[in-house]
Amino acid sequence: MVEVALSARSLTKVYGGRRGQAQVNALNDVSLDLERGRTLGIVGESGCGKSTLARLLVGLEAPTSGSLAIDGQAVAMNERGARGSLARKIQLVFQDPFSSLDPRMTVEKALGEVLRVHDLHTDATDTRIGELLAMVGLTARFAARYPHELSGGQAQRVAVARALAVEPEILVLDEPTSALDVSVRAEIINLLVRIQDELGLSYLFISHDLSMVRHISDDIAVMYLGRVVESGRFDQVFVTPLHPYTSALADAIPVPDPEHERSRKAAGVSTVVVQGVAVSAGCPYAPRCALVQDRCRQTLPVLEEKADGHRVACFVALEAEG
Amino acid sequence: MSEVLLEIRDLHIGIARRHGADEIVRGVNISVAPGEKLGIVGESGSGKTLTMLAVLRLLASPPLSVLKGEILLDGEDLAHVDERRLRQVRGGEIAFVYQDPMSSLNPLLLVGRQIEETLKAHGVTGAAAAQRTGEVLTQVGLADPDRVRRSYPHQLSGGMIQRVMIAMALATSPRLLIADEPTTALDVTIQRQILELVTSLQEETGMAVLWVTHDLGVVASLVDRVAVMYAGRIVESATTEQLFARPTHPYTSALLQSLPGTGSSHRSPLHQIGGTPPDPTRLGAGCPFRVRCPFAEERCAQAEPDLIDRGQGSLAACWKDPSQW
Repeated sequence: MVEVALSARSLTKVYGGRRGQAQVNALNDVSLDLERGRTLGIVGESGCGKSTLARLLVGLEAPTSGSLAIDGQAVAMNERGARGSLARKIQLVFQDPFSSLDPRMTVEKALGEVLRVHDLHTDATDTRIGELLAMVGLTARFAARYPHELSGGQAQRVAVARALAVEPEILVLDEPTSALDVSVRAEIINLLVRIQDELGLSYLFISHDLSMVRHISDDIAVMYLGRVVESGRFDQVFVTPLHPYTSALADAIPVPDPEHERSRKAAGVSTVVVQGVAVSAGCPYAPRCALVQDRCRQTLPVLEEKADGHRVACFVALEAEG
Repeated sequence: MSEVLLEIRDLHIGIARRHGADEIVRGVNISVAPGEKLGIVGESGSGKTLTMLAVLRLLASPPLSVLKGEILLDGEDLAHVDERRLRQVRGGEIAFVYQDPMSSLNPLLLVGRQIEETLKAHGVTGAAAAQRTGEVLTQVGLADPDRVRRSYPHQLSGGMIQRVMIAMALATSPRLLIADEPTTALDVTIQRQILELVTSLQEETGMAVLWVTHDLGVVASLVDRVAVMYAGRIVESATTEQLFARPTHPYTSALLQSLPGTGSSHRSPLHQIGGTPPDPTRLGAGCPFRVRCPFAEERCAQAEPDLIDRGQGSLAACWKDPSQW
């Protein structure tokens, strides 16, 4: 029996709309289930709503509508402070560790502050800080350092340790390797996988680096202009993508293999598409879609199951054979 | 002997300190043939951007300065030309596209006007400049060039702005386009469009391209030859095919292995290089990669090797032949 760690239903977030401002639907009717101990990868381009989703899930912002449950318990999302103990169960790790760590706090102070605020291990703070650093592969001597004395990889380890300090069940990882040098990305990914296995955590992994997402995720949700357009197991989504947008996205990734790139050129694969224009009705991807039909411009396709947990929001894909 | 368009010879760049200068680019040699597409790969602090800026004498001086070396465009040393000639070369024979397009355009001027200004600086004025502006905006695949030229930068998307930057660079029909991570801030689908655009423009115009990036995927899809930089030097130079098929420097090899995808199974540990990129101002004697290198031995701590020919066009600054790894 699958246990669901986090379940979001119809999350919608609308910005603006006051005093004649244009409304922006950053998130539109997004529903997700994150199974316990698994990693759900969220992919999509900038503006697709993936960071808005992260901010709603951890309570940095309130949704316009929709609901969220952690461990089956409904989370009050619209009242400040009402998240209570549930807040501790979900933590966020940001993209750039140097802007998420206070430059004037040593590692020890940064971790100590979290423990104090949440009233954890107050009698053995130092021991706990040592444990947390060990968990992310840093020795105790890092406790006395300031962020500027850390390399990018070390700083991101500290950011992970800080998230782990409150003993969360879920980590939301928003582009955790994008700000790092290529040669240290692998070690952060390895660290995250190891910690997840050791502590039984559930991850929501947000990234535009599809090869990393594919490597670490068990399940994938593809987002486009505020909506989930495809979801399923990682191999379903990457090996047999259903939505034309998922295929375009996968094709666009430059592969570090000249052979592959040459065969791409020979096959004439091109993802040259016009810029997406906001549409009032119909499928949001219709203006860029090569397979577009009349009905796509009139009716919004909803996410439907095509095969064993593999869902897609596309009329054409749902009707296709196989 | 093959023809050379741009040659960088033994370039050293220093950063001023209270006592003397620290060398952060330490003897870089690069040559670009007409029409060639060369990639410069390296992590932050490897000196790749400084090297490119030095070509057009754009280093922020002080504290940065060229300590030594020559930069030859068709045999003419750009380090010693006067300001007038330098202005002809900048944006004329050599065009530069930067990483962050939004901050390289003037937010208060219409896009068309900014392209016409570039042309004016190179002697094309009036109706001819307006016509050329329309041409290049069309050439870079902007759907509505007339609307774009009458727009301010903030009215355009990131991908459109980067196309405008490329259009501006192309306006003067440069012989060399230097692009410093021009797609890093863009989405993958837009990045793919830009890569395809540059490839087709390069085929049309025959210009040479120097493409700076940290992304090996971009290298594989765009350039003919690659120079890998580490700690202020080129540590490997090879054709794109050879670099991926048979890397001859342990750093290149480790970078390739650390990428997820080919050969790594789902969630299994990725190859870690270990350690961190060195601080270029604090290098001791010996090879700067030795502390992270699995094959390091005594001689690596004593002396830093020059580029050694490893066959099939590959050169590597490593004492060990890959067969001994």
